[in-house]
Parts: sequence; C-alpha cells; structure tokens
Amino acid sequence: MPVIEVTDLRKVYGDRAVVDGVSFSVEQGEILGILGPNGAGKTTTVECIGGLRQRDGGSITVAGMDPAKEGAAFREALGIQLQESRMPDKMTVIEALDLYASFYPEPADPLELLERLGLVEQRKTYFAKLSGGQKQRLSVALALVGNPKVAILDELTTGLDPAARREVWDLLEDLRGTGVTLLLVSHFMEEAERLCDRVVVIDHGRIIAADTPEGLAANVQADQRMSFLPSEPFDLALLQTLPDVHSVTTAGERVVVVGTDNVASAVIIGLHERGISVGGLRVDQPSLDDAFVALTRSEASNETGSDDGPSVSERTAVR
Amino acid sequence: MSMATHQADPTTTNSRLPARLSGRIHWGAARAMLVSEGRLLARNPGVVIWAVVLPIATAIILGSIPAVRAPSKNLGGLSYFQVYQPILVFFAITLLAMQALPDVLTRYREMGVLKRLRTTPASPSLLLFAQLTLILGVSIGCMVLMVVVPPLAGAPWPRNVGGFVVTYLLGAWAILGLGLVISSRFRNAKVAAGFGSFLFFVMLFFAGLWLPRPNMPGWLRHISDFTPSGAAVQGLTNSCAGHWPSALNVIVLAVWGAVTLRLAIRIFKWE
Repeated sequence: MPVIEVTDLRKVYGDRAVVDGVSFSVEQGEILGILGPNGAGKTTTVECIGGLRQRDGGSITVAGMDPAKEGAAFREALGIQLQESRMPDKMTVIEALDLYASFYPEPADPLELLERLGLVEQRKTYFAKLSGGQKQRLSVALALVGNPKVAILDELTTGLDPAARREVWDLLEDLRGTGVTLLLVSHFMEEAERLCDRVVVIDHGRIIAADTPEGLAANVQADQRMSFLPSEPFDLALLQTLPDVHSVTTAGERVVVVGTDNVASAVIIGLHERGISVGGLRVDQPSLDDAFVALTRSEASNETGSDDGPSVSERTAVR
Repeated sequence: MSMATHQADPTTTNSRLPARLSGRIHWGAARAMLVSEGRLLARNPGVVIWAVVLPIATAIILGSIPAVRAPSKNLGGLSYFQVYQPILVFFAITLLAMQALPDVLTRYREMGVLKRLRTTPASPSLLLFAQLTLILGVSIGCMVLMVVVPPLAGAPWPRNVGGFVVTYLLGAWAILGLGLVISSRFRNAKVAAGFGSFLFFVMLFFAGLWLPRPNMPGWLRHISDFTPSGAAVQGLTNSCAGHWPSALNVIVLAVWGAVTLRLAIRIFKWE
C-alpha cells in the first residue's frame, strides 16, 4: 500500500496546464526524487500533494488522506520544507524548533533532532546569522520535528555552495532507514543519484521518465561525446555513415562527434582508413546532468507551440 | 535514536485539538506562539518604543503643567489636558495597529513564515492571535500609564472609569480591525508601512490631534463622529467628564470592528 498515491493530477493556471496528468506512487520509507527544469511543474505538483494548492483534476492520497481536505491529521502526517521560506531574523534555532514542536501532538525531541542535524552548537544562534547550509538544515529539522510519516523537501540545496550541499546530502542519507517517506524536489541529477531510490522526471507538467537513478543514467551513458582536430579537412558526411555515430558537428577547428560508447574507436579507425589522423583527442563521459538536459531538451522539441520560457511558467507556478 | 519512535512529553500529547480559524485553539501551541512573538517583539522594540514613549511622555508632561489643566474658553470649557489625554491614549494603539501590526504580518508574508505555518497543524491564525494579544497588551499598559501617572502630578482622573474602559476596548476592537485589514493582503512591508502611515494620520486627524474636536466645524465633527478614532476619542472624553459614551459612539465602534474583522478574514492571504 503506497504512502503517497498521485493519479492523473492536473493543475491549470488560466488556460495553461502547469501539471498535466501526473501519476506516481511512493512506498513507505522510499525516497522519491522529482526532477525537472525550472517551471516544469515540480513545485506545483508537490504543493498540490501538500494541500497548499487546490488541484483541478485527478486524485491524491497521502497516508490515506486527501490533501484537498486539509485536516489537522493530514498536517500532522506530513512535514514540508518549502522553497524560500525563512524564519524571523531574531529567532534562534532552538526557539524555532521548540515553537514548531508545540504544534504537534507527538513531536520529536528538538535537542535530539539538532544533534542529528549537527546544529547543536548553533542552537542559540539567530536565524539571520546562520550560513546557507545551516538554514537549510534547520529547515529540514522543522519539516521533521512533528515526526511526520511523509516529508516533502522542495529545492533543498538550490543556492547552496558545493560544501553546504554535501552537508545537507549527508544529513538526508542518514535519514534513510528511519522509515520516513521522502519526496525530494530537485533539479540536480547528482543529488537524485546520491539520495533517491527512484526518480520521476517532469517537464511541461508531464512525467517524461520514471526509473531508478541508475536506470536513467544507463540510458544516457550510451551517449559519448568526443572531439578532435583532424590532420586535414574532410567531408563530415563520411562519419555520419558510421553505425556508432549519432551526430557530427564542428566547434571552430574541432570536430565534435556524439555516439555510442564505441564511437571513439570507430571514428579513429574510419578516418585512419582514409589517411586522416586525429589530434588533440578528447572524450567526455556525459554526466547525469547532460543526461537530464538531453532528456528535457528532446521533450521541449516535441512540444510545438510552447513559446513560454521556463522561467515564466515557474513564476506562474509559484504564485 | 530513531525519531519515529521518540515519545513526546505526556503533557503535550493529551490535547490533540488543532488550532484553526474555526476557533478551536490548541492552548499549548497558542502559548508557545505568544511567548515566541513576545520575545521577538522584545528583540525588535523599535516601532513599539516610539509608539509607547511619545504619547506617555506627552501625557505626563501635559498633566503636570497647571495652566494646561485649567478650563479654556477656546475648547468649550474643557482644559487642554482633558482634550488631549484621550487623543494621546488613542494615539498609542492607533500607531501600533496601523504600523506595528502590518509591519510584522506583511514581513512574515514576504518571508514565507505564514505559508510555512500553514503546513503545520497549527494554523497561522495562532500568529494573528499572538500579535493581537501582544499589541492589545502593550496598548493597555500604555493607556494605564497615561491615566494613572498624570494624576500623581495633579491632573484629574477620568470621572467615569467604567465608561473609559468600555470605550477603550471598543476603540481597540475597531482600530485593530482596521490594522488587520491593512495587514491582510500586502506582500511588501514598505508598501504596507506607507499605507499604514497614511491611515494613521487620517485617524489622528479625525481624533482631533491637530484640530481638537470642539474646534472642528460642525460638518467635520459629524464626519469625525463616524470614524473609529473620532468616536473613540469622543467616548473617552465623555467618560473623563463623568458621562458615558453616547450610543452613537458605541454603535460606530462596534460596527467598524465587526466590518473590518470580517473584511480582513475575507481578503487575508497567507502568501
């Protein structure tokens, strides 16, 4: 029995569907990543799940409850860390946790939580004086202080420097196995790879991929990118006929070829047969970020008549 | 040390009632919120100090000058102290309601504090409750000082203390309602502050700060009668002289409070 079940979720702003038929489910104790570019509809999706937005279609249950009814039992079962939500500047860490603990019937012990999150030393520090990573860790602590069954963490590491980001990731890794079901919104593939059991990729309000992070990565790992300086000019069409090659372009003097993981040797051998040698060779293993870009870009080119930029729809989505 | 199995303090588990706008209040959470907001107020005392110190100091100084306590023909037989004490008493709560309340609530909206609270079992109405309680508390403290200290220097007591208190509470109800309306929608604290300042001066004008009500032309006094500040100051002045606030004063204040409160709840935005 899944803890979160979303079926055919729809949310419309004006005549534009920001979330357009999203379905997925999350099992008890699972960490699900929701990935997608800015404005893809991620935040709107989790805000519908969190009962902060009324959906226009479909159904949602969280721990057996409908978020649209917004009852107190629902609020107790769900902890949410919101994008860009701050505490008053002159509230200390422990004051914030004590206050939020008072809202719940069976809260976690604030001090114990601070210990887990490595904030014990900052417990008497004003919110305004915390570093970005510390603020985010406090935000996670506030989402967990009610001992929720489900926690939603929205763009937890956006805007953090790499060290602070790792800090937060370590913390979330520790949470695995405590039985909390986590819904993690992100646009970092690396984050998803490290933390999530499964990910769904959303773009233009629809799910365009759903898999384990390894599964997603494997699909993309197939594409390799190489570039080189040929010893003499040649007809690029020559390479396009090779079975391992997907695309050939030039960048200045350099020839850039994308293809299967065999592409480098196929190109070198093919050119060698025609007496052309390959200099300045570089082969890039595409990162998961590239995979993600490839995935969302191909989706964008399938969308005809979507002339709104992503940032525009993001702004609409959070209003 | 699993958080999921952690048992809470039994005193916090027996009251499961959530606090929502429907009126059921979780007292543990309400008290925690009140303590928290009070602490923040003490750490950011700026606007409150100015709202409190200025009218109290003025009332005490006015009360201690004998000439100010003498009846004046210019003021229809009232003394300057009798005219200005009620205005100063209302000055403090008006400043707090028009500036301090919108400042805090708009800032919380801007920072996402209200939206964050909405995701917890405690509704943000707890925050409104805490803010209104604090502001009313500070205002009442202020009023008491303005009423009690000047007589020590020889100024008169309000002759009808019951009428004074009733009028004060009704006036607070009306002016805090108006403050909540200003607080309920703005997302930008500076815009809210500008709007609040404007209304503050309008309220104080009708209260008679620049042109005392006895000196207002009849038509202006009639308008003043129907404003929260005009009605409250008239009721307070009557009570000081030993009378009761007029039925019109009471009705005007009660209606302003009811209408503004309804309006504030209707247009209130969490984000």
